[in-house]
Amino acid sequence: MAQPLHIAHLYPDLLNLYADRGNIRTLRMRCLWRGIEVTVSEVPAGSRPDFARYHLVLLGGGSDREQAIVGETLAKWKGELRAAIEAGMPLLAICGGYQLLGSYYQLPDGTKVPGLDLLDLVTVAGSPRLIGNVAVESDLCGTIVGFENHGGRTTHNHEPLGKVVRGCGNNGKDGYEGVQYKHVIGTYIHGPLLPKNPRLADLVLARARAYQGVDHPLEPLDDTLEDAARKAFLTRRVQL
Amino acid sequence: MSFIAIWVGKVLSFALRLFGRRATSLPGKAALRVCPSLLRRLSRQLEWCVVVTGTNGKTTTSAMLASILRQGQPIIHNQEGANLPQGLTTALLQHTSWRGRLLRRVALFEIDEATLPQVTAALPVQVLVVTNVFRDQLDRYGELDTTLDKLRAGIAGTDAVLVVNGDDPLSRHLAESSGHTVRYFGLAAEHAKDTEHGQTRDGAFCLRCGERLDYEAFFYGQLGLYRCPACGFHRPQPDFTGEIRGWSLRVREVGQPPSEVTLRTRGVFNVYNALAAVAAARTCDQSADHIAAGLTAFAPPLGRMQGYATHPPAVLNLIKNPTGCDSVLQAIVSEPGRKVLCIAINDLAADGRDVSWLWDADFDVLAGRADIVGCVTSGLRAEDMALRMKYAGFTGSMVVQPDLGAALDAALALSNSGPPSADDPTSTDVTVYVLSTYTALYAVAELLKGREHLHGAALAYRTSVS
Repeated sequence: MAQPLHIAHLYPDLLNLYADRGNIRTLRMRCLWRGIEVTVSEVPAGSRPDFARYHLVLLGGGSDREQAIVGETLAKWKGELRAAIEAGMPLLAICGGYQLLGSYYQLPDGTKVPGLDLLDLVTVAGSPRLIGNVAVESDLCGTIVGFENHGGRTTHNHEPLGKVVRGCGNNGKDGYEGVQYKHVIGTYIHGPLLPKNPRLADLVLARARAYQGVDHPLEPLDDTLEDAARKAFLTRRVQL
Repeated sequence: MSFIAIWVGKVLSFALRLFGRRATSLPGKAALRVCPSLLRRLSRQLEWCVVVTGTNGKTTTSAMLASILRQGQPIIHNQEGANLPQGLTTALLQHTSWRGRLLRRVALFEIDEATLPQVTAALPVQVLVVTNVFRDQLDRYGELDTTLDKLRAGIAGTDAVLVVNGDDPLSRHLAESSGHTVRYFGLAAEHAKDTEHGQTRDGAFCLRCGERLDYEAFFYGQLGLYRCPACGFHRPQPDFTGEIRGWSLRVREVGQPPSEVTLRTRGVFNVYNALAAVAAARTCDQSADHIAAGLTAFAPPLGRMQGYATHPPAVLNLIKNPTGCDSVLQAIVSEPGRKVLCIAINDLAADGRDVSWLWDADFDVLAGRADIVGCVTSGLRAEDMALRMKYAGFTGSMVVQPDLGAALDAALALSNSGPPSADDPTSTDVTVYVLSTYTALYAVAELLKGREHLHGAALAYRTSVS
């Protein structure tokens, strides 16, 4: 009998600006429907994450202030986090969490809020905020759909998550959205991200299972409603 | 000093209105800065006033009561949300002459629990209504006692007769330990149910001795037929008993003929609001005619549990953010009978273009319940809502229908097809609960009204043969 898949939601009390719990719920339910046991650890602000025990980590979005607090807290454990990432642990980082992966976030007054420096990535505050429905084409899992709402412009020297088809993406200029490095995925897309992108959700789960050492392919699920929601979004909201 | 303050307040009030702004608390705030004792000075001229406080239902209860009291004379009434000292002062200033004379002599104030001790001593409170005391679920520890202390201090500052929800053990304890004259309102015991669906019950412990309370049955939340096995603390026999008969509420008052009022809104908590308003009005010596006329004139804002005489009946609620949505969902699941949900989600500018909030709202309470027969999702984001229900773990019948009218028809049809309730197999009682975001609300209300006419004749016929 395999150990339960262990998912950690980092600092949900600080970083849950865009319904990131919906992502956790999606992962949990898609395991449950397949009979895969799951444990979700909500790591509250101020407490120490145990990266050696997790198979998948989610870092959500928060306000600039909350993000700075998380940055400070997590900076202490970034060695452990880096080691886990290099070993192939999947990390899903959204909005503020995505920005935290880089070396800094530069505020409008020029102050640089240090990030975790895990990736070669920087974010600079800009105006106006980039807000709206978004669709990107990713070689990982096809079209990814959702909503973006960010002031920061992000640039990096890694693979992007995908190419922007509708919306603004990382910085509204280079036509790319998100980042991928090993099994780390960073993105501005919420809505939340995973419910309407079941292929991405399953990719993340499959990677987490592989990292856990479980060698079973994921059984397919009935995604009729998911597909209907994607189709409605693509036709009614981004006119693709 | 107070003249200057009155002028400051009145000029500011006038200026704000001139520029089309709401003037519900800023004029009072400015005037109080000039003359801190202004609230006391003005309210000294009141003959009497009524105060409505408590956790839930303050605004609706005081709006109903205001409508009743206005049948007898013009009154001063602070507007929704403006229940801090500056809000009360603003309300008084509106009816104060430039020479400082109060033009109306009766007032009705809705006051926040936290503000109560700051203001009651300054007011000639004749009747003080406590709707209920619920603790905030987010503040599990400590908060409740602070609230009770504030209420206690506020009550101690008056000689008022208390009109209190006797079905609520927290309010009951507050009242009986106050030493004031108390008149209790409560629902008839027949409306209490012994089944509960894992809802939080805040007052589960006896405030007198700390023992866990025994409940014979519940109305909703911690409201019910309770008794302490250790010290004998118990639910009082109500002075005003509410009996729900379809769309009307019959209020029995000791030594009086029963009075009947029509309910414009559904939901147990709305019944309590009406009952509290009637009990308070009777305590203020209002006649049955005034009460009936006042409640008829009372118009609830759209989307607050409005009832529609469709077949089966429908109830309309506005949802716009997770917190408000959660309280609507709590209200719905605490209603008796089988339920069909129809949830219309739009994502236009006035609704918010980002629908992530649906995932912060607790739709999970709808999963795994035998009394929820089905769910229809509608609106521009019908599919997103369906997905939310799926991931909530809802496994009942589900229909996705973006068109609002077709969705309502589907919901009404679902209600007529489901199996009888497991709790009560004889019950044929089904209600369609319609939840809608802002831009779909008026369209949905019109569509429901249209479906009322369709079935009006059939409904009348049914009544006459039964």
